[in-house]
Amino acid sequence: MQQAIVECKNLTHYYGKRCIYENLNFEIPQGRILGLLGKNGTGKTTTINILNGYLKPRSGECLMFGESSANLSPETKRKVGLLIEGHVQYSFMNISEIEKFYSAFYPNWRKEAYYELMKLLKIDPKQKISRMSCGQRSQVALGLILAQDPELLILDDFSMGLDPGYRMLFVDYLSEYAKAENKTVFVTSHIIQDMERLIDDCLIMDYGRIVMQKPVNELLESFKRYKFTCSNPGYIDEISDIYNPVTIKGNTEVYSLLGKTELQNLFAKYNVSASEILEENLSLEEAFIGLTGKY
Amino acid sequence: MTNALLFKEWKKTKWFAIGAFAVGLALLAYIFLKLGRSFRLVGLEHLWDVIVNRDQFLFRDLKYFPLATGFCLALAQFVPEMIQKRIKLSLHLPLPNKKIVFSMLGFGLLALTIIFVLHVAIVLAFAGIYFPKEIISSIIYTILPWYVAGITAYTFMSWICLEPTWKRRIFNALIMFGTLQLCFLTDFPGAYGLIILAVLLIPFYVLPFGYFSVQRLKVGIQD
Repeated sequence: MQQAIVECKNLTHYYGKRCIYENLNFEIPQGRILGLLGKNGTGKTTTINILNGYLKPRSGECLMFGESSANLSPETKRKVGLLIEGHVQYSFMNISEIEKFYSAFYPNWRKEAYYELMKLLKIDPKQKISRMSCGQRSQVALGLILAQDPELLILDDFSMGLDPGYRMLFVDYLSEYAKAENKTVFVTSHIIQDMERLIDDCLIMDYGRIVMQKPVNELLESFKRYKFTCSNPGYIDEISDIYNPVTIKGNTEVYSLLGKTELQNLFAKYNVSASEILEENLSLEEAFIGLTGKY
Repeated sequence: MTNALLFKEWKKTKWFAIGAFAVGLALLAYIFLKLGRSFRLVGLEHLWDVIVNRDQFLFRDLKYFPLATGFCLALAQFVPEMIQKRIKLSLHLPLPNKKIVFSMLGFGLLALTIIFVLHVAIVLAFAGIYFPKEIISSIIYTILPWYVAGITAYTFMSWICLEPTWKRRIFNALIMFGTLQLCFLTDFPGAYGLIILAVLLIPFYVLPFGYFSVQRLKVGIQD
C-alpha cells in the first residue's frame, strides 16, 4: 500500500441546514491519479476547498503531507499545484510575465515545461491572459502547474469550458507528466469520458456519501449492467447488492458488482422471475450512472 | 518573493496609479492657474487679507482628490482579486498568509504615499514662493487630514473588497463613512492642529481589518 499524501477523516459539512456529507473518509495514495466523480451539488468543489484550506468543515479534518489543510505551511503549499475551477489565473498579466512571477516562488521551477506547452498555442508571449480563449487559458494554467513541478496536483473541474481538442490536449499532457514523474493527482471533472482516459482510481460521490472508491480497471471489470425481462420487478428493490433498477414495459435494467451466476442465485432467493439475462460491460460514464442513477 | 508580489500589485494598478498622479497634477495646475489669475486681478494684498483676516483657504479644491484616489486604488487592487475568487491563487503562494495580505496592503499604502507626498510637495513648493511659514504650516494642518482620509479610505475599501459577505460589506461601509467624517469635520485653516496626531493614526487602526476578512474568506464564510 502506497503512503497516503492526503487523508480526509470524518469530514462533515453543511451549508446552512443542507447536509453536503457526513463522516466522509478517503485517502489519496502517493503516485496515483484519483478522480472525484459526482453530479452537480454533491460536494466536489466543497471537498477541494476543504482540501486546500479555503473552507472549514463542520467537523473532521483533512491532512495534506501530514499537515492540517486549514493551516498549510509555505513548504507544503509549495508541494501542491492548484488549478482553480474555470482555469482562473492573473488575467492582467501576459504569458511571459506570469511565468516570471511564479518562478520567484518555486526553486525547482521548470521554465521549459511551461514554454513547451505555450509553443503549441502559437500566441505572442506579450498577449494578455484576459484576451485568450478559455482553452488557451487552460493551457497557461496547466503549463504553470507543470513548471512548478509539485508533488501533488489538485485540479478542480479542469474540463470546464473546454472544447474537445483542448480537453484531449489537457488530458494527454497531464497524464503523460503524472505517470512519467510519479506525481499524485486529485482531479474533478463533469466530463467522465476524459476521466476514463486519465485516472487510476475513482471516488464516486452521491448526495451525502461516497458510493465507491476503487481503481478504475477493477470497477470496470466487476461492475456490470444486466438487462432482462421480469414480471415482478417490485421484488428487486429489496435486494441490497443491486444498484438503480429501472423497469420500462417489462424490460428491466439493473447494475451490480455481482457476477451473472451470483445474480441469478439472488433472484431465485428473492423470487424474482427474470429471464433472458444479458450481461453488459460498461464505460466509466455508464458505471457512474449505474452507481448514482440518472436523476 | 516579496518583489514578485509587489510586481503583481504594480501590474494591476499601474495605469490607475499613473492616471491618479496625472489627474492630481492637472488639479494642481488648475488651482495654481486660478490663484495666479486672482493674484493678477485683485492683487496679492487683497489675497493676503482674505487669508489672514477672513480665514479663507485657497486650496479647497484639493479636498476630495485624496479620498477618491484612495477609494479607486483599493478597487483597482482588490476587485480583480475577488472576481472568480482569484485571491485563492494569491493565498496559495508559498508564503505565510499574513505576509501575502500585508504585502498587498503595504504596496497600496506605499503607492498612495508616493502620490500624496509628491502632490503635497508641489503644493508646498508653490505656496512657499508666495506665503510665509506660518501660512504654510496652516496649509499643512488643513490639507493633511484630507490626505489621511485618502489613506483611510484605501484601508477601509480594501477591507470591504476582501470581505466575503455582502451583509458585512455594508456594515463595513457604514463604519467607513462614520470614520471618514473625522477627517472632514471642518475646513477652517489649521483647525486640526491639536488633534492631527490622532487623525494620522486612523489608517493604522483600520489596516489589520482586511486580514481579518481574508481569514473569514479562508474558513469559507459566504453569502
